[in-house]
Amino acid sequence: MKSPTSLAGRLSRVSFLILVLIAAWTMALSIGEAGPPQPEKAVRGPCVRDAEWMRRNHMDFLKHKREETVREGIAVKSESFLACAGCHQSRERFCDRCHAYAVVAPNCFECHQYPK
Amino acid sequence: MLSEFTAIPGRSLAFWRMVGAMLVLVLMGAGAFFYVEHHGHAVTGMNNQIVWGLPHVFAISLLVMASGALNMGSMSTVFAVKQFEQFGRFSAFLSIALLVGGLAVLMLDLGRPDNMLLPMVYMNFRSMFTWNVFLYTGFMTLCLLYLWTMFEYKQYKKLVGTAAFGWRLVLTTGTGSIFGVIQGREVFGSAITAPTFVAISLTSGTAIGILLLVHTYRRTGRQLDDKLIFGMRNALIFFLALVAYLLIVEKFTRFYDPSSYAVESWILNGPWAWLYWLGVWGVGVLIPLVLMFNREIGNSVGGVLVASGFVVAGAFCFVAHTLLAGQSYPFDLFPGYVTSSAFQDGVAGSYVPTLSELFLGLGGVGISGLIFLLGIRFFRMLPEKAVAPAGWELPWTP
Amino acid sequence: MTMDRRSVLGLGGAIAAGVALAPGLHLIAAPADKSTPETAPVRTGKRWAMLIDTTRCTADCTECTQACRAENNVPLFGDPDRDIHWIRKVELRDQNRRQAPISLPVLCNHCENPPCVHVCPTEASFIRHDGLVLIDKHRCIGCRYCIIACPYKARSLVFYKTRPPRDANPNVPIRAAGVVEKCTFCVHRIDDGKPPACVEACTKANKGAMLFGDINDPNSEISQRLLKEKTQTIRPDLGLKPHVHYKGI
Ligand code: HEC
Ligand code: HEC
Ligand code: HEC
Repeated sequence: MKSPTSLAGRLSRVSFLILVLIAAWTMALSIGEAGPPQPEKAVRGPCVRDAEWMRRNHMDFLKHKREETVREGIAVKSESFLACAGCHQSRERFCDRCHAYAVVAPNCFECHQYPK
Repeated sequence: MLSEFTAIPGRSLAFWRMVGAMLVLVLMGAGAFFYVEHHGHAVTGMNNQIVWGLPHVFAISLLVMASGALNMGSMSTVFAVKQFEQFGRFSAFLSIALLVGGLAVLMLDLGRPDNMLLPMVYMNFRSMFTWNVFLYTGFMTLCLLYLWTMFEYKQYKKLVGTAAFGWRLVLTTGTGSIFGVIQGREVFGSAITAPTFVAISLTSGTAIGILLLVHTYRRTGRQLDDKLIFGMRNALIFFLALVAYLLIVEKFTRFYDPSSYAVESWILNGPWAWLYWLGVWGVGVLIPLVLMFNREIGNSVGGVLVASGFVVAGAFCFVAHTLLAGQSYPFDLFPGYVTSSAFQDGVAGSYVPTLSELFLGLGGVGISGLIFLLGIRFFRMLPEKAVAPAGWELPWTP
Repeated sequence: MTMDRRSVLGLGGAIAAGVALAPGLHLIAAPADKSTPETAPVRTGKRWAMLIDTTRCTADCTECTQACRAENNVPLFGDPDRDIHWIRKVELRDQNRRQAPISLPVLCNHCENPPCVHVCPTEASFIRHDGLVLIDKHRCIGCRYCIIACPYKARSLVFYKTRPPRDANPNVPIRAAGVVEKCTFCVHRIDDGKPPACVEACTKANKGAMLFGDINDPNSEISQRLLKEKTQTIRPDLGLKPHVHYKGI
């Protein structure tokens, strides 16, 4: 308490340590799993956009689409959320498998129906 | 004239016990939040007719008090009432503490708290809520700046303090307008709602200021001149008269309009009439006025404290009455007809608050309390000795 | 050590900035659309409206409400205070009980000046180009201000967590607790060129009490009937310009 710098220094050191520990822990956890996940193959093709592009940008695609569909009324049937399920037939073996690996949990399926 | 500002020592068991109590409240609030989050709002007493319940009563009361708590600061900075200058820091800080508590409750009661930040991303400037987002963040910023100028840059104090004062008027007008602009529910939708909220904030903010100030000084064994408290008492009486005036004018104009006979007699006579008469008028206005006008009680600090307690409770009742009575009045979709349906058309809404809502609301109180306690513990908020300036006499005593 | 700490901080800052900017960015970085006829902007120039002939509506008939529940997967929780009603049957009796009671459905009025849209802080409630008042449930924060503002009691908060019903209509998403919802005029059917489910059910049951159409088209049946027949809206005094018209009140 005497010199504020030492307190601040100690605090930041402690928080840094905690950060490192968390990082190490999550890394250890993910190494435990066997490499990048293999999402299930689509039953048909091609994807609504380039598959490689989709892998990186499907969330933007979906969110952009939903803005257009819901708010502007531009409903493109072949690219709707339901249409994904036509080719990627399982949520668990396609979307969730990847997301578990990437540690994201989109809440879309609270409302959107998608085959398990 | 001013004695030195210091933080309270805060080493006693009693202090940490209070901090502990506030922590318990916060934990209760957190528990209630997760409970409601997990089960959906069905576990609260709220329903499709009364969608804002006890948490909102707590939240809005805290917010209204927050803007009112700035009174003491404004009185000295804006209106040059020099004897209150020593409480400027305290008052600005109390505003922040109450504001944070109130906002926390509002945020945590959202149906989808995970979307909490969306109002910052998409703004609809026709919505009173969007305005309130700005008003609250702006007020918080101004209060912090005000505090800062009081600590370090006295030369800007007047400027920032005046800005904060103006802002707080707009802020409470905004809070009141949340209800004032609603035409669809007969009980809301009055131009006088917002000014009444401002008046209520003046009373309740001053009252909570008196309560906390006196308790802090007593418990830390510091010296607080009774005359200062009596000065605030006089202000409080004036503010209470303002509230009474606005309440009466509202009823007066409403009763002049035949189309609102039904609504108004429902308020004065219906299921929530007890809250209006006992809570808003009795607890909120009449009892404190009687107490403070009494020569003996009004001239004792203890008496003023009791009256202040009533005023704070009355503000709570006022918000509760505005919200609950306003929402339970049945919709009159087809004037001239008696309606009935499976969706409670034509019947007054019923609302029985549940524990989880109470806990959530108390959680907000806990947050405010915690901030307040830690604030006066770690920052130099209050003068060691609060004395009235020499030669200053109270203009009036009961 | 210092470098590391700085980069950790930098990362934190970048994440914070990303969080702040992301919502704006995803609109800019939107993928280019294929220009198929499907992507033409929504049928502008339309203005959907409904006409309800209360003289043909009977108290014992609940075809419209049932059809709505089936089409939109709206569950009944068995908790009357907290059930979701997109459309409900209301019974009117005049105060002196001289006339026979009137039965009619009440649903979202898709107002031209919707107070729910005015008060929504996030623009989750909005007016689509064709006049439909809709809720973008992705944006709803569940503040319920719209329920306070709506004079028709057309909106419900989802109080319970739900599971999809077994025979759910796959075309309509189900619901999450804490979001406000209401009648959409079956926007998914409108976009397919079909009338709302309630209207279809009413017609199928040979009641013919509900008529749906575009009032911007002067030749549509609804425009013609609104012109000829004496109709009214609910609470016209509020100036909301509702688009559900009633005949026979
Ligand atoms: C016509 C069938 C079809 C439709 C519809 C479709 N996809 Fe695909 N998708 C594919 C194919 C084929 C691939 C390439 C990988 C494969 O064969 O599984 C793919 C790849 C992907 C990938 C990358 C997977 C990986 O292995 O890296 C993602 C992510 C994806 N799609 C998301 C979507 C989303 C989201 C939608 C809905 C908007 C959608 N897809 C609609 C056929 C389809
Ligand atoms: C190839 C692996 C992969 C597949 C398959 C995949 N995703 Fe993703 N998804 C990701 C990754 C990785 C992220 C996180 C990206 C980030 O946060 O930058 C993500 C993020 C998202 C997000 C945004 C989450 C957020 O919090 O904003 C949504 C929405 C989403 N995915 C939907 C889907 C849907 C729906 C499917 C199935 C049709 C799917 N994804 C399939 C890898 C995948
Ligand atoms: C609270 C419930 C809810 C959640 C959560 C939700 N949606 Fe939706 N979504 C809806 C509803 C309801 C509609 C249909 C709106 C309409 O028809 O007006 C919809 C429509 C859509 C559409 C356009 C219709 C279609 O089938 O293409 C897309 C795309 C979409 N949502 C994507 C998402 C994504 C991605 C997520 C997760 C990040 C998500 N939604 C989460 C309720 C939800």
